[in-house]
Amino acid sequence: MIYGKIVRSPYPHAKVVSIDLSAAEKAPGVKATLAYMKAGDEVHYQGDPVAAVAADTEERARDAARLIRVRYEALPQVSSEAQGMQLIGPRWSTTQPNTRAGQRAETGDLDAGFKQAAHIVEQTYSTHIITHVCLETHGAVCEWDGDKLTAWVSTQGVHQCAQGYAQALGIPQTNVRVITQYMGGGFGSKFAPDSQGIICAKLAKAAGVPVKLMLDRKEEHLDTGNRPSAFAKIKAGVSSDGKLTAFDGTSWGTGGAGASSGFPLPYLYQFPNRKRVHTDVYINAGQQRAMRAPGHPQGCFLTEILMDELADRVKMDPVEFRIKNAPPLAPNAQWVKYFAEGAKRFGWDKRHATGDPTPGPIKTGMGVSAHLWGGAGRGSTAHVDIMSDGSVVVKCGTQDLGTGTRTLVAIVAAETFGLPVSGVKPEIGDTLYPFSGGSGGSTTAASVTPAIRVTSLNALDALFAKVAPTLGVTPDQLAAEGGRIFVKGNSSKGLSWKDACKLIGTEPISVDGKWEDGLSSSGTSGVQFAEVEVDIETGIVRIKRILAMQDCGLIVDKLTAESQAYGGVVAAINFALFEDRILDRVTGQMVNPNMEWYLLAGMSDIPKIDIVLNNMPERGVIGIGEPPTVSTASAIANAVRNATGATIRSLPLHPHKVLAAIEQERAGGTN
Amino acid sequence: MVQITLTVNAEPVDAAFAPYKTLLEVLREDLNLCGTKHGCELGECGACAVLLDGQPVLSCLVLGVDCGGRTVTTVEGLASDGRLHPLQETFADLGAAQCGYCTPGFLVTAKALLDEHPRPTRDQIRDALSGNLCRCTGYQQIYEAVEAAIGQAGPKGPALRDTRTDASSVRRPGPFGPGTDQSR
Ligand code: FES
Ligand code: FES
Repeated sequence: MIYGKIVRSPYPHAKVVSIDLSAAEKAPGVKATLAYMKAGDEVHYQGDPVAAVAADTEERARDAARLIRVRYEALPQVSSEAQGMQLIGPRWSTTQPNTRAGQRAETGDLDAGFKQAAHIVEQTYSTHIITHVCLETHGAVCEWDGDKLTAWVSTQGVHQCAQGYAQALGIPQTNVRVITQYMGGGFGSKFAPDSQGIICAKLAKAAGVPVKLMLDRKEEHLDTGNRPSAFAKIKAGVSSDGKLTAFDGTSWGTGGAGASSGFPLPYLYQFPNRKRVHTDVYINAGQQRAMRAPGHPQGCFLTEILMDELADRVKMDPVEFRIKNAPPLAPNAQWVKYFAEGAKRFGWDKRHATGDPTPGPIKTGMGVSAHLWGGAGRGSTAHVDIMSDGSVVVKCGTQDLGTGTRTLVAIVAAETFGLPVSGVKPEIGDTLYPFSGGSGGSTTAASVTPAIRVTSLNALDALFAKVAPTLGVTPDQLAAEGGRIFVKGNSSKGLSWKDACKLIGTEPISVDGKWEDGLSSSGTSGVQFAEVEVDIETGIVRIKRILAMQDCGLIVDKLTAESQAYGGVVAAINFALFEDRILDRVTGQMVNPNMEWYLLAGMSDIPKIDIVLNNMPERGVIGIGEPPTVSTASAIANAVRNATGATIRSLPLHPHKVLAAIEQERAGGTN
Repeated sequence: MVQITLTVNAEPVDAAFAPYKTLLEVLREDLNLCGTKHGCELGECGACAVLLDGQPVLSCLVLGVDCGGRTVTTVEGLASDGRLHPLQETFADLGAAQCGYCTPGFLVTAKALLDEHPRPTRDQIRDALSGNLCRCTGYQQIYEAVEAAIGQAGPKGPALRDTRTDASSVRRPGPFGPGTDQSR
């Protein structure tokens, strides 16, 4: 195996004048070189891949990469949304405009809505860009056998990845095998082979040996996705009795170089009359990718800060105000219940009105916020083999991102067979296994577990058919539990699993099955509460407690479900307080492409987190990977507002912004 | 090429490698011990933590040549006689890992903590592990896992418990079936 290295554009915007590979080709240990772009092409962000090389060691690959001579003609770049929206000034591309009309929706009668309003709030809110920062970087190992490719990829979708390879390389998808036994996190950034995966495959083909190409941390920040920014200028009305009447929002945001930035707005609450117009702004920075509940944390923040401002206008408690304006109670809409229950659990009655009256620099406050998500299941397929020695293997072409998919597969099959979890061997993460979709949209649990259940039941039926004659009953009279197959209602009449399987004979039971409707559903709701301490002299926010009320249908495995919620909350604490992709305004370079100045929460930044999962078995399985990460940041920001009396309308809540907001509030506020 | 002799996971090994290689690279590439991960190679994430003479170090910041005659413990060296270290047990049982990429670094660093302070306080756990980043879990389970291992670990700890012969004793299953009880 040899190592690949990509040469990337140092410029955020430039024209490639020439690419000279000759010096690199002659460098020691070099086995293949590749021009990914050609003279005349345009690079659109710092880190845009231009060329690549493979050599026998990583160091030699790096050395050779430095010998690849690329000449650029630098072009003016767009480094911020504001710059991109200027009518004159730099363009992100020489061929495409800086902005494009995005989402647009209008319902009801806006003028009438504002006429009904007793109070109107008009403000601009925004969220920033963060990157995924999977602890394992993106990358692959590619090996060719003739025109057949095997790729070991750190991916969230083995089948999706195989499709991507086939398309990009012009080979049949049946010639591609993608394997992902384990991987170190994806969060929405690892679905396709991406440039690094395709480059890896091409280098391997050219070199005639397997190539490993893993990105480093800087490449990871620059070229593997991010959560787009979101801005909205909002005018909203509320009636004197606390009913939302109208919402008029003009929003924009950037997903980087040519990528969109949509998000739901207004979020969740019922504005009977509303209008929203969105504009995608393009800038010279890496493209966005789906990031854990794409769009929702943004839409949630922009709406939830506004909600607290409106509640203050009508002098209503934020919880009471939200209950009044949330959608009515339904299986997939439990907000009303969670607001009330959560407030009780959290001790919301101890919350003071906006602005902690306690003397001294440390101010305490509480905030609340709500969210929704889909999490539906869809077609997944599986295969089960039961051998005559009693061993069971369950195969499904899904993958485990760390969310516990492998565990779920084993649990569902084991329970169906009445075996301990150790009695079932789950095999996933390989395109040789039956098709299952990419792990995105919190769809995996709801897609995979029904397929495993159905397939396991099919296999069990086949086993019952073999066992029934020996027990002198019909197959439908049999049950499997506690490691035994027995006659229902007469558990002593039966066989151990092992003895039962001996009746299978030489040909193992080998059945397929697929996802069926009815075992999963869609739509989750959640409410989160936060308590913070703000030092108004330093601007530092410390989170004391978070309470997350969440449903996800039937809980298949409490441990992994809760872990998703804990992890989601911490990811959102990062979004609220720490992470921030910072581009230099003048050069367009990312100034913190590392894990030091790109701040990340560690063990010492974590509050007490309480997760309350509402088990709703009657709804079937619903995914939970994304929803818990949506509303935490808004609850924190509202808690900071409650503590300080100052409204910070943009994330992240870095100390300088907290101090500036407090200053502004002292100077008379922004209202 | 330089050649050194060192002790890795209680076994003496000879290693020959290019002089600029970090301990992380030597472990993964020359000694085939891929349990130790690289997350940044800049000393920022803790994924590469190993024990050098019993002390946690970031192996991406240590040169291999500096390790001659020294003792290295990686995650591969935590289990003994086919039995997991108590920390490995509690990390698995309490859900202190999701993708697991950060886990080797957390495990060896926590082991060093328990070796030195058999009964650490929450603050000591926090300080010891504050250089290890995890992007998946909520850290809370990591605190709980380390605390649960207290009293079971230690340099010559008591016999390890064996709870994982039947995973269902840990994770209560119950999807779709009758009598589903999800309470723990
Ligand atoms: S890889 Fe050594 S600290 Fe990140
Ligand atoms: S479990 Fe994935 S980084 Fe910690």
